[in-house]
Amino acid sequence: MLVIVGVPLALGFRYSMHRVFLYDFNNQIFKGLDNYAYALSDPLFIKALNTTIIFTLGCVATGILFGLLVAFLLNSRKVRWRPFWVSLFLIPFVMTPVVGGIAWRFFMWQQEFGVINAIGGIFGADARYWLLDRETALFASIVSNSWHLTPLSILVFYAALSTIPDELYDASHIDGAGPFQTLWYVVLPLLRPHVLFVSVILLTSAFREFDMIWALTGGGPGRSTTVLSILAYNRGIANQDMGMANTIAFTMFAIMAVVAWIYITIYRRMLEKST
Amino acid sequence: MISPKARKRIQVFLIHVLLAIWLVISVLPPIMLLAASLNASALFRSPWDLLLLRDFSIENYTTAFVAGDFWFFFANSLIISTASVIIVLVTCVPMAYGLSTISDRARNAISFGILAMRFIPYVVLALPLFLLFVNLGLAGSRVGLLLAHLAIHIPFATWMLVGFFDAVPRELEESGIIDGCNAWNLFWDIAVPVVRSGIVALAILVFIMSWNEYLFALFLAGSNAQPLTVGITRFLGGIESGAQYGVIAAYSVLVILPVIVFSLVANRYIVSGMTAGAVKG
Repeated sequence: MLVIVGVPLALGFRYSMHRVFLYDFNNQIFKGLDNYAYALSDPLFIKALNTTIIFTLGCVATGILFGLLVAFLLNSRKVRWRPFWVSLFLIPFVMTPVVGGIAWRFFMWQQEFGVINAIGGIFGADARYWLLDRETALFASIVSNSWHLTPLSILVFYAALSTIPDELYDASHIDGAGPFQTLWYVVLPLLRPHVLFVSVILLTSAFREFDMIWALTGGGPGRSTTVLSILAYNRGIANQDMGMANTIAFTMFAIMAVVAWIYITIYRRMLEKST
Repeated sequence: MISPKARKRIQVFLIHVLLAIWLVISVLPPIMLLAASLNASALFRSPWDLLLLRDFSIENYTTAFVAGDFWFFFANSLIISTASVIIVLVTCVPMAYGLSTISDRARNAISFGILAMRFIPYVVLALPLFLLFVNLGLAGSRVGLLLAHLAIHIPFATWMLVGFFDAVPRELEESGIIDGCNAWNLFWDIAVPVVRSGIVALAILVFIMSWNEYLFALFLAGSNAQPLTVGITRFLGGIESGAQYGVIAAYSVLVILPVIVFSLVANRYIVSGMTAGAVKG
């Protein structure tokens, strides 16, 4: 395991400090941190970093919000056919992301015959070129990717909610709490560790997302949906600049390392509080 | 005035309506693919016409099989996914069992390392592996692609399985020792049967993850090893002209068919696998 993950990491780190071109592979020059300095001063990199952050936060927020909402609905009393709902809600998650991207691109966002504009048309909205418009392409990508990720958060929250005994709701009802007070003061605090867990999983997976955006927009129009993964691919494979591609990838790795550290610190603190 | 009972009923009804709306959102994209694939040519048709199958035909599927070289890509996907599952089970089940029996301190250190690996963006691994495989002569081979998949699966699988093994009651093992079990019996005859459904869940998740994987395939698979996810994107180049919408849809349906069938038949296992991590955090 160390070999299969450690060797590529070490190699990647080495490449990130060198000038490495695929067409001139044997002529590598040590550059130290110059690649990193260049990346940080490169407007394209900064733009991609911004796009990645917006994309990631958008996906996490949407995923958590709709996950909680649907899980609450599913867990309400007297809901029938629960296994039926759960099994079908799972579909966006197991569906191949590339194919998900294709489905959204050609049949949902498509400007003339897509479902979104058809529904918008019923309400009198103007047809939009969702994926071809710089203003909306990122928004559309976030929606599509959230569609893919939300089942995870629905399932985790639903599993957590179903472990809360009915007596707790009854007790809070007897104490005179309304449904919203119960939700805010009783249920949500119990869900806190699960919200933390889900947000980390959604965060890591949205941060590195490539497949869905690649199938939807390929990073365009212009560079409006070029996230860091796509930028690294373009640099490394299309421009054959492996040194810079590895630098970008390693910057992503460093950002994730900080996120992982924050997550673990919060998690430990939470454990200490609860014991 | 509405009686409290009627109000309750309306409330329950509304909840079902909202769930149904979410259901439509969840399944609409795949349903649109299916509908489009079953119309003669999906070009210039409203979603409504597609869904009603106004121009029914299965021609798109025959085209997808022939022009899309379906079976070639299918074989690659199947071989890589199946091999991933087998290798992950053979290596990770004993490893996770071992981890769950050693001291807490050592285990915490190791499981922290495993958890940390889950944060690694795939592109960080894909780029150096691409160069490494060129040097090793593995570039474009199924073996190389399989190794990359394992780099992702093994940490994930070990992490999940340790949680399952931890839940095996201590008393069960102790009574096993009294009955004269050796270490192998303890593992194979006592611990493994208890976590069997967890292992099934893991195998299904690993298969789905391998089947769906695209980034590694794009970086590492040469023309001999490309799986279906790469096969389908070959169509995208000429799509803007529009003539092939129906074929793309048919091909998409074929790609997702195995995972959708899995998720409908075995969703109990998938759900347990997906939520298992949450309980442990």
